[in-house]
Amino acid sequence: MASNYLSNSALKAINRIGDLMIPRNGEFPSFSEVGGIAYIDDLVSYAPPADIKDLNLLLTILAFMPNFVLRWLLNRMENAMESSGPLAPIFRMLDVGLRGLIFSCYYTEKIPASYTGKKPLDIIGFDLTRVED
Amino acid sequence: MYDYIIIGTGPSGGNIAHNLFKAGANILVLEAGKLMNKKTFPRTEADTSARLYWGGGIEFDTDAKMGFLRTRVVGGTSIVNQCLLDRFDDIAFNDWKAESGVNWFTNEQLAKHYDTVEHALALHTFTANEMNRNAQLFTQSCDKIGVKWGYLRKGQSDCAQERGNDCMACLGGCHRDSKQSSYAGYLRDDIAAGLNIQTETEVTQIVHNGDTVTLHALQQGKPVTFQAKNIVLAGGAFGTTKMLLQSGFKKQLPALGKNFSTHPQFMSFGLFNEEIHACKGYFQTVASKDPILRQKGYKLENVFAPPISAAMLFSRTGAYHQEIMRNYTRMTCIEVAVRDENAGEIKVDNKGKLTIDKPFTAQDRRRRDEGRELIANILTNEGAKKVYASPFSVGLHLMGGSVMGTNSAKSVVDPEFRVHGYKNMFVADSSIYPNAPGINPSLTIMALAQKLSDQLIVANHGI
Repeated sequence: MASNYLSNSALKAINRIGDLMIPRNGEFPSFSEVGGIAYIDDLVSYAPPADIKDLNLLLTILAFMPNFVLRWLLNRMENAMESSGPLAPIFRMLDVGLRGLIFSCYYTEKIPASYTGKKPLDIIGFDLTRVED
Repeated sequence: MYDYIIIGTGPSGGNIAHNLFKAGANILVLEAGKLMNKKTFPRTEADTSARLYWGGGIEFDTDAKMGFLRTRVVGGTSIVNQCLLDRFDDIAFNDWKAESGVNWFTNEQLAKHYDTVEHALALHTFTANEMNRNAQLFTQSCDKIGVKWGYLRKGQSDCAQERGNDCMACLGGCHRDSKQSSYAGYLRDDIAAGLNIQTETEVTQIVHNGDTVTLHALQQGKPVTFQAKNIVLAGGAFGTTKMLLQSGFKKQLPALGKNFSTHPQFMSFGLFNEEIHACKGYFQTVASKDPILRQKGYKLENVFAPPISAAMLFSRTGAYHQEIMRNYTRMTCIEVAVRDENAGEIKVDNKGKLTIDKPFTAQDRRRRDEGRELIANILTNEGAKKVYASPFSVGLHLMGGSVMGTNSAKSVVDPEFRVHGYKNMFVADSSIYPNAPGINPSLTIMALAQKLSDQLIVANHGI
């Protein structure tokens, strides 16, 4: 797994945070098991360069944080909509940014062939038909 | 030297470019996004967000409580919306007249422009047998508790429903060219006929030289310059206002950036025992059409969201998140769209980045809460076991920032669509909306663009 935009540390952080957000549970595979992060460049390459730089820096820092710190961060993010104070907008933006990346790599049609389990989109029953002439 | 340069290709720019091109004007169309078509539109939800929207998917207000969806592609918003085309009512126009002093804001005055647009596009009003289960439950419950509802009218030509096509797929661009976007409805054939369009070109500065206008832009990152006798700004509330702000027009136009509104939308999901499959078929066919709700300042829309968006709308993660997503096919959804106060302001910081102040006022909050309560009643009345009200607010209808009015101290654009004090700079997109109409804005954007087109052709501005 490699990215032209994100460092190895940043990718490692996404997998760790992804597994905290979406752990293995019943028929749901964990975030890292699915491996959708392999296609993360398809998403990141369209973001403004300054945002990619900031994301890389943030994720690289998070990669070195222990799990209890990441859990605290996720908790702050999840409750940020109801929070006030000067840091609340930052947590809200982090929440949408990180969940956006992680859900986009999980509820996706783009999954590496190495993953042979049931796909998350199939588990939730999402099935769109496109009739193209 | 072009007669006209049109900046932006959404419902406004697409219409004006089409009309001026057909009239034989020497025009250039500039668009920040790429040209895509039914073969090249994204086929996944994640790719749609990344490729078709500014900011890689979503932009925020300064408080990060509201997210804005703003497209960057030939066709603009009309590529990704549901192309729901409603005329405004007297309530909307009377409020516009009161705020702007513009006396032609009436249904009678705009009727011929509405007619022209409606005649040019394929329109379809839904019927009972086109409702999916989500819509059936919504309308059954509305009937029981006395909320009036109606069928929606959509711009579409052939959605192949009888062959099982699911219209949710066209949120990333219609793969059938059925949806009447400004690309499918106007520009596709014009481009084939030789319309001069330059894509991936973002205008960074407007220099007014008197009888001509110079535009500085970045084309795939490289600086380019264009010159025209006239320009038409059609970049939408954010795009048009940003171009004027970063070009220094705020000094002459103190109202520039003000009066921003967005019809904030809040979705609530209902969990049922039965399988609903709300993403199948026509996924948006009905909405509240209740005069009481109209007076109260909100409406209810029967909608649904694809998986990533649905996952985003629930704030929680872990097992709670998985429990909700496991029930995805047994969910229905209704959203309340608030007719919000135009208290927002669009600004540009010293790095040239957009910043949006969008206070959610006490009146906005009251309307949202009342709408949510009604939604909960509708859902539980029809048998929902649980109702999940998303805390997130999304702004899809970006309006104001360069509003029209008679007073140059309180508005940016005069009643003839000219930027106050500039005879050859025109605006006719959603940025001129004086306040939130509480009705889908697309058709009226096109009607206003049609009015400006007719005005320019009649006045023979360089044609």
